[in-house]
Amino acid sequence: MAYFLNNLFIVILPICITVIVTLAITVIFKTSYTTNFAQGVISAFGAYVAAKCLNSAGLSIWLAVPIGAVAAMAIAIFVDVVIFRRGRYVNGLGKQIITMGLISIIVGATPLIFGAQTPKFGKFVEGNQSFTVGGEQVTVTNNALVCLGITIAIVVLIFVLLRYSKWGLSVRATASNEYVAEMVGINTHIVTAISWGLAGALGAFAAAMAASNSTEISHVYIMTNYQVNAFLAGILGGFATFYGPVVAAILIPLASSLITWFGNTVGIPSLSGWAMVIVYALSLIAIFFKPQGLFGKRTVKKV
Amino acid sequence: MKGYLLKNYGLNKSPLAPSRLTLGLKRVIKNPMYYFIIFGIIMLIIGNLSVKKVLPYSLSTGLATTFAYSIASVGFCLLMGYSGLASLGTGGFIGIGTYSIYYVMTVANLPFIFALVAAVGIAVVIGAIVGFISLRIEGIYLCILTLGLSEILRNLFVVLQDTIISSKFYLFGNSVQRSSGIFIVTVALVIVMIITQNIINSPTGRAMLAMKNSTSAAQAMGVSLMKYRLTAFIICTVYASLTGIMLMIVIRAAQASNSAGFYALITSLNILAAVIIGGYRSVWGAVFGTFIMYGLQTVLLSRVQFFVDNPVVITFISGILVILVVMFYPGGAAQLVREAKNGIKKLIRKIKECRYGKDI
Repeated sequence: MAYFLNNLFIVILPICITVIVTLAITVIFKTSYTTNFAQGVISAFGAYVAAKCLNSAGLSIWLAVPIGAVAAMAIAIFVDVVIFRRGRYVNGLGKQIITMGLISIIVGATPLIFGAQTPKFGKFVEGNQSFTVGGEQVTVTNNALVCLGITIAIVVLIFVLLRYSKWGLSVRATASNEYVAEMVGINTHIVTAISWGLAGALGAFAAAMAASNSTEISHVYIMTNYQVNAFLAGILGGFATFYGPVVAAILIPLASSLITWFGNTVGIPSLSGWAMVIVYALSLIAIFFKPQGLFGKRTVKKV
Repeated sequence: MKGYLLKNYGLNKSPLAPSRLTLGLKRVIKNPMYYFIIFGIIMLIIGNLSVKKVLPYSLSTGLATTFAYSIASVGFCLLMGYSGLASLGTGGFIGIGTYSIYYVMTVANLPFIFALVAAVGIAVVIGAIVGFISLRIEGIYLCILTLGLSEILRNLFVVLQDTIISSKFYLFGNSVQRSSGIFIVTVALVIVMIITQNIINSPTGRAMLAMKNSTSAAQAMGVSLMKYRLTAFIICTVYASLTGIMLMIVIRAAQASNSAGFYALITSLNILAAVIIGGYRSVWGAVFGTFIMYGLQTVLLSRVQFFVDNPVVITFISGILVILVVMFYPGGAAQLVREAKNGIKKLIRKIKECRYGKDI
């Protein structure tokens, strides 16, 4: 039991990061109809800015991370306003390739701006919480708990905004049909710009969490694995809804952790290496049988 | 009868009529295969000079890497430009080649041909799986699904053996130096280009093009979606695994957990960008685009001191280039060449008109 709980607590942070990245990718997918491959590097850029504030200016992490988020937000809005708005009628594949061009730009620009060495990054809160379950020690880091709190706050806030605010209504309208939304008087330019800004800021928070886990930003591709998981979560949950991808984003790291736990309990410790392979394979099988995703809606296509 | 004789035996040969030799030459020159072979010969000569240090040595490594990746690009060009399908699995598929050559040649000590058979066999199976998936799932979703498949492969490689090094490579019993890898890669690329060009011009290529433009219309005309999607994906996967083999011959080492390595997402994206820059319906364009993405840095820009000091500037510029091409010049380099050709033809006609007057 204690071992199970320990395993569960380790996976809290990956779940938080995946959920936030998935939310960012879903928001952009719904308003701009493209998968943003640059999400990871834009997030990493935000984390670099935060690390710069942390190391050079000596700010507290609670101030540095929001500054990084603002920087990532500025980049994301710039991308939407300057590049995507002009290429509005570039097809879906073209948009994807533009985002991948952005990867090259940011990967090239980051060492120019921040220097070549890997920046140090602090934890949000130091220390552990430990308690005993059935005579065994169970430990969870305060950092993970704080990140969990931040994530829950962000997710709840965004879902409330989407459901009840005017902005949420216009996002949902744009997501369902951009042209009709324009016709009924929604300024889709502003909606997409805000969505990109939101995605950038969310990404920066996620990257800060990822960096706080390993005490440094190891490289600019720090978010790539989470981003790949987030794409898969989007497909698995179905991009048709906002909650589907988020649920899938919780499921993917959780399933991997459960497989590791199962392997150790049954006596096959080598299963932990295969955990991600099994999770991806299961997801692909699920998608193959439900192409709309677990929570997707079937759409009827006209010929 | 007289006319027949005249026509066929050249009895009324006027001094202006082309001789049989020039006609034959013309037929050879009009054939696209001719250019591929000429290209191969020129590259072999350059490679030879570079290996012998007459030309700078970095030229041969740069070109070898470019040509290795070009094989995957050419396959991707067939997949995207002719079948209208996109995949982000190239990175993982490259891994099939590298690992089969590693396990067959370095671990099991078998000849090269077994590695080739293993790589092609596994690639065919994986390509068929992706092809079947593509029947149900399309567009961006398919992209992400192939990305997932590629991640499965990459994780599998990490579990199997993270870093692979195959220091020796034998071809027909002879040890091949790393520096002479460029000859093998060039020959492989030329063969792949010729095969691809033939596929494009064959009924298979036309069926793929029909399928790209409208699946419903293609099905109505009797094109089997399953057959051609499977074909396209299998070809793309086999080419990618060939790229893996060639990279192993040229570079000899790979690390699966490296997030900027062969099998990472960035490779798939770079190949995609290469095909876009080159113009996505041209074999030559694919090779040119790959050169921009992979070869330019080693071959040309390493001569300029500024780029040696700031190698990241090249990444930066290539990103800007990709965005500009997609936004303002979707045809890519192939379209640029086509337009330049038309422009020159027009110019020549205009000069002729000026000299001899308008042709009515």
